[in-house]
Amino acid sequence: MASDKTYWKGIGELENPELAQKLQANEFPQDIPVDEFLTEQESNSTSTTRRDFLKFLGFSTAAATLAACEAPVVESIPYVVAPDKLVPGIASYYASTYDDGYDYASLLVKTREGRPIKVDVNPDADYKGDVNARVHASVLNLYDATRVQAPHKNGEETSWSTLDKDVVKALNNAQASGKRIVVLTSSVNSPSAKKAIQTLTDKYETASHVSVDAFSYSQALDASEAVFGTRRFPFFDLSKADRVVSIGADFLGQWIGQGVSKAYAERRKPGKDMSRHIQIEANMSLTGSNADVRYRVKPSEYGAVLAGIYNRVATAAGEPTINAPKSSIDSKLDDIAKDLIAKRGKSLVLCGTNDINNWMLSYAINELLGNFGTTISTTTFSNLRNGNDADFTQLLADMKGGKVGVLIMAQTNPVYNNAKGAEFAEALSKVDCTVACSDKQDETASKATYLCPTPHALESWGDSEPFDGHYSFMQPTIRPLFDTRQWQHCMLHWAGETTDYASFVKSNWTDWNMNVDKVLHDGYHTKSIEPTSDVTASAVDKLASVKVGKPSQGMEVVLYEKTGIGVGNLSNNPWLQELPDPISRVSWDNYITMSAVQANDMGLRNKTRSNGAIDGNYVTVVAGDVRIENVPVLIQPGQANDTIGLAVGYGRDGVGLAGDGVGVNAFPLSVNGAHNVADVKIETQDGWHPFACVQLHHTMMGRRIVQEVTLDTFLNEPATTENHRGWNERTQFETLGEKMTADKANLWTDFDHETGHFWNMSIDLNMCTGCGACVIACHAENNVPVVGKEEIRMSRDMHWLRIDRYYSSNMTKARAEEEGVGAIKMYAEMEVPSESPEVVFQPIMCQHCNHAPCETVCPVAATVHSAEGLNHMAYNRCIGTRYCANNCPYKVRRFNWFRYSENPEAFGVNYALNDDLGKMVLNPDVTVRARGVMEKCSFCIQRIQLGKLEAKKDGRKVNDGDVQTACMQACDTGAIQFGDVNDPESKVAELKKDKRMYHLLEDVGTKPSVFYQTKVRNKNA
Amino acid sequence: MNKQRLFYRLFIGLFFASSVVFAQDEADLPGDPDNGKKLFNAQCGACHKLDKKMVGPALGGVADKYSMDWIIAWTQNNAELRASGDKDAIAIFEEYNGAIMPAFPNLSEQDIKDIVAYTIRGDKKKAPSGDGEEIAAAPAAGGDDGMNMWVILGLSIFLIVLIAILAKVKNTLKVIKGEPTSTLLEDASVFTKIAVRNQKVIAVATVVVAVFLLQQVYWGLMSVGVEEGYEPEQPIAFSHALHAGENQIDCQYCHYGAEKGKHSNIPSASLCMNCHTYIQEGPKYGEKEIDKIYAAVGFDRESNQYIDGYEVKPVKWVRIHNLPDLAYFSHAQHVNAGNIECQTCHGPVEEMEVLYQYSPLTMGWCINCHRESEVDVENNGYYEEMHGKLKEKHNTDKITVDMIGGLECGKCHY
Repeated sequence: MASDKTYWKGIGELENPELAQKLQANEFPQDIPVDEFLTEQESNSTSTTRRDFLKFLGFSTAAATLAACEAPVVESIPYVVAPDKLVPGIASYYASTYDDGYDYASLLVKTREGRPIKVDVNPDADYKGDVNARVHASVLNLYDATRVQAPHKNGEETSWSTLDKDVVKALNNAQASGKRIVVLTSSVNSPSAKKAIQTLTDKYETASHVSVDAFSYSQALDASEAVFGTRRFPFFDLSKADRVVSIGADFLGQWIGQGVSKAYAERRKPGKDMSRHIQIEANMSLTGSNADVRYRVKPSEYGAVLAGIYNRVATAAGEPTINAPKSSIDSKLDDIAKDLIAKRGKSLVLCGTNDINNWMLSYAINELLGNFGTTISTTTFSNLRNGNDADFTQLLADMKGGKVGVLIMAQTNPVYNNAKGAEFAEALSKVDCTVACSDKQDETASKATYLCPTPHALESWGDSEPFDGHYSFMQPTIRPLFDTRQWQHCMLHWAGETTDYASFVKSNWTDWNMNVDKVLHDGYHTKSIEPTSDVTASAVDKLASVKVGKPSQGMEVVLYEKTGIGVGNLSNNPWLQELPDPISRVSWDNYITMSAVQANDMGLRNKTRSNGAIDGNYVTVVAGDVRIENVPVLIQPGQANDTIGLAVGYGRDGVGLAGDGVGVNAFPLSVNGAHNVADVKIETQDGWHPFACVQLHHTMMGRRIVQEVTLDTFLNEPATTENHRGWNERTQFETLGEKMTADKANLWTDFDHETGHFWNMSIDLNMCTGCGACVIACHAENNVPVVGKEEIRMSRDMHWLRIDRYYSSNMTKARAEEEGVGAIKMYAEMEVPSESPEVVFQPIMCQHCNHAPCETVCPVAATVHSAEGLNHMAYNRCIGTRYCANNCPYKVRRFNWFRYSENPEAFGVNYALNDDLGKMVLNPDVTVRARGVMEKCSFCIQRIQLGKLEAKKDGRKVNDGDVQTACMQACDTGAIQFGDVNDPESKVAELKKDKRMYHLLEDVGTKPSVFYQTKVRNKNA
Repeated sequence: MNKQRLFYRLFIGLFFASSVVFAQDEADLPGDPDNGKKLFNAQCGACHKLDKKMVGPALGGVADKYSMDWIIAWTQNNAELRASGDKDAIAIFEEYNGAIMPAFPNLSEQDIKDIVAYTIRGDKKKAPSGDGEEIAAAPAAGGDDGMNMWVILGLSIFLIVLIAILAKVKNTLKVIKGEPTSTLLEDASVFTKIAVRNQKVIAVATVVVAVFLLQQVYWGLMSVGVEEGYEPEQPIAFSHALHAGENQIDCQYCHYGAEKGKHSNIPSASLCMNCHTYIQEGPKYGEKEIDKIYAAVGFDRESNQYIDGYEVKPVKWVRIHNLPDLAYFSHAQHVNAGNIECQTCHGPVEEMEVLYQYSPLTMGWCINCHRESEVDVENNGYYEEMHGKLKEKHNTDKITVDMIGGLECGKCHY
């Protein structure tokens, strides 16, 4: 009997039958988000049904197959006249220099078929400068099509001859009418550039040179002048310092540009000679996170802290003390002072602010500690920073008063990066003739009458003198891509000189007794300088004028420079924008950093969305007349209470797709060049700001990911003991019968790693400062794509190498045991970083496991093991199941969710893969990966293959150091070492036997080829 | 290369030896003009022509001006001759503004006599076209195809004729027996009807046709992107047979990148000019093809000089060997480290009038070679330590490329 029962699929069908019927007609109740995977505009507007789609698919497959049968004619066009010494496919290297008035580095430039594709530190140079992430990324800016390509007058293209005629006329007019002619630059350290400016200022009587720096150290330089008689910074020698006390100085970041991280790391080798580093600061800086001990202090208290240390040191030395208020960490200062006094002549007190009083005090402390002549040179001075804010203020006043006839600006952008930028922009209109020499139509250049496009450093001639007697040379590695002219050349030209700048620098070098060919080949030259003997440096007897103010009560904002962006010179660089901040791990943004307690008090939150992305509240920062609106807040462990941090270098305009409109401009807060402003107010705003953060977990949750011991333990206790109680024991497993360590418990047939090479990498967690240079070097070497902010928010970042950062938590397993805290509560509390955490960095790339979990799950054997211990990845074999990524315990595999190359509509921000000019930066030895394939660190296999080939060609074995991965080469401090452990003489073989060596997640049994060296902290015993 | 050269030389030697035997009319000459031509091209052609003054004087009729002994003395060491105070020698030296002609102690007296014989006889009028035909026949691939077609056509005609004859025979027999005759078409239709009704025949036929079609499709797909035999027309009719074959120019004189790096470069036009500044006429095309080089670099044939301010025009060669981007191939690895002859992969280039792709360049082809090729571990310091271990591990004396990781993905794909 047939049933007459009616079945409803759901209660909705009964309640609203009409709607249910309507829904039944559609297969999917909601629209499929086609836009997300179809980036072409045309396809978005069509209404393709599934059947049509399948028809098209079938047809296009057939069509593609047919089309593929007929191979296209490929033309091969050789040189007509082959350049000497150029062999296609073989890289040429040139020594050069990067110097943009902010960053300085001595470089080795790799070129392929005449294109510079990578820059690295010049390994031979005696002073290498600061080869940071920005310098490594600068090669991409060379191929930025948004650079100014021709001279402009009033925003319209003009010819150089018109421009020259106009400018020279204006110069003569200004001279005739007695108006000032000013050449405004950032710090200039090049002797030839100085001479070129001199040529112009000599020619015109009313001409003068003013330099102003973006992130000013003008007052600090004034302090140097008072102490040393020269308005320059002395050379700070961290390699001689047993004790480093830094008050707000982020010397591993940018600071005064001296690039001291290598010297610092030299003294961080665990042992009796290891230095102790105490950091006293407000923001959680890169330097602070590397410190052995870190104290959180408001910047307005820095003076009190310095005075406190000074008084204690002075008392011990029998010198008079000064009046000073108490600081919040007075109780710790006794120990710090005692520690410093014990290391007389081998200590260093560094100061980070732009405050003359603080710097005078820091110099006085160092003087009393006998550090002058040891850790602080009184004979070698740096030319890297020489901006003078007083000169700039005078210039601004003269401009407003109509006293300036011609203003020539070069490698500077005051409208953007000066607190008085708006005033300056207005005053520009009162100058008869304004000339901007710039590579971009930027904030200042767009307001100048004339725009002289300048070439990139890799297209330029020049020299540098970062320290007295240390020279470095700049030579072009490619012919200028656009109709550009070096600003130094303009100076000469407008002064009536007929010589070009290239001949000018060369004749200078000859005049200075240098062999032009040799210095260009070497890239550097050192000459001994007679110390000026009549200068008796002293700070102590000048302390009378030093005033130490009381700490302020209100909120303070502390400006800082991010390792990726700096002051924003290279803003339109997608690699740098996507480089996560080493501490906050946020990319594509600047934001206010605030302590959790403070944020809680103000009702500000960071919330995690369902896809894992973080959102933050907006606030407005008010400091006097300056209002900065829509600044997102990020909760930052380690931030001093009553302070907020904000990075400069963001909020650019007119630099290109990658840089424009990212973050907010913080420079207006830097009134009078100050790095910190007191009494700011914070007004909360509506809305949530999307952050692109690449790390969502902040603590290690009691696991042994980064292994850390104190120096005391390291020196006095064994690494391993019989009863398994040492500080570097292997994990043990309970097995039937006996306990077994992870390396013994083995179900696998092992690969033969005795024959031939066995490539391994050692990463010393003590030497890694987290600077991120290796990440950028990896980008450049391996054509790693940039995915943009939205994709990062979905955890689709493509970095082959990442630097994980972990905070310590107040809760530990030991404490939980002691206090009887339950497991659930313990883990919940472990998740929360402590308010003043210790920070560790851990660079992680593919670990090249010898029992690789990824290899066993690949259904098409696209990732397989090699005889040399590498985990190969064959892109053309990969079908994109992503099983391997799921099975990887280190989460180092990256999936190409989209076509990141040749897809300018969706990923145009990354011109390295999407623009004809930008693509010139690609490494021709590495495949550009297609959509739908997995990729990961290859241990720079192209370099391994090259190293082996060179050895075979010469008929010798591969020497240690012949094969360097890009990250190893970029690592200033030598934290990353790579080599063949089967070569008993290799560094890495030695490091594998080090007692600090451990494998990451060893208990998983993956047997990685990458191993880490335990971090050692030199805390007070 | 050496073995093949040796073979080639033997061949050439035999060829000329035989030609001398039959060349009765050349008996009056002081030597063998054919050998002389070869030597002339190789040794003298850079500075001399027969009929035109170049760096040195035209050599046609040199035997009329000087004695054979003098020519031999001058050629082998002209400086010595001049030092001895020979007037003729000094006069020639001064006529050419002291341009020094190198000594040729490597040329024997017979060699020089051969060359002189060539200067007397000159080029054979018919010779160039004859040479051309010979060489044009060398790439046998095209010829083979043509041959097969003719054979098939011939067989088909033979079969049709055979069927017609048999039908005629059958009908004749039927007429004799008094049975009704049938035409060829009627026979065919009857046969078809029987076949169509028989399911076994249909089944077998279907299977045969299906297998045939599948095989065709499979071969078709497998050959997608395989350009074996690809022989495009090049902008300049450059003959490897002439340069690498007849003139014995080393491959790596032009393709100098092969032993150094990844690419075996196509030579720049400036490299062509190393020789073609002087060699201004080719044996087959005369001035026509060489003029294309001059057009590229801006060289004026009349004044023998480069044109000032000339905008160079690159030669757009058609690329023959196209490996996909996903495969990394290094010439240096094979040519230099592996000591492999160019011909192993590129075929008998020295015989190719027009260059074609000799090998399929498929992954299977690469892999096969890696499985079979022995690594010369004895004579390369790189393998010194590995050597013993490898032998022990694989228990063999013959170490092939696959034993040192030559089959691993990451060798070529990264």
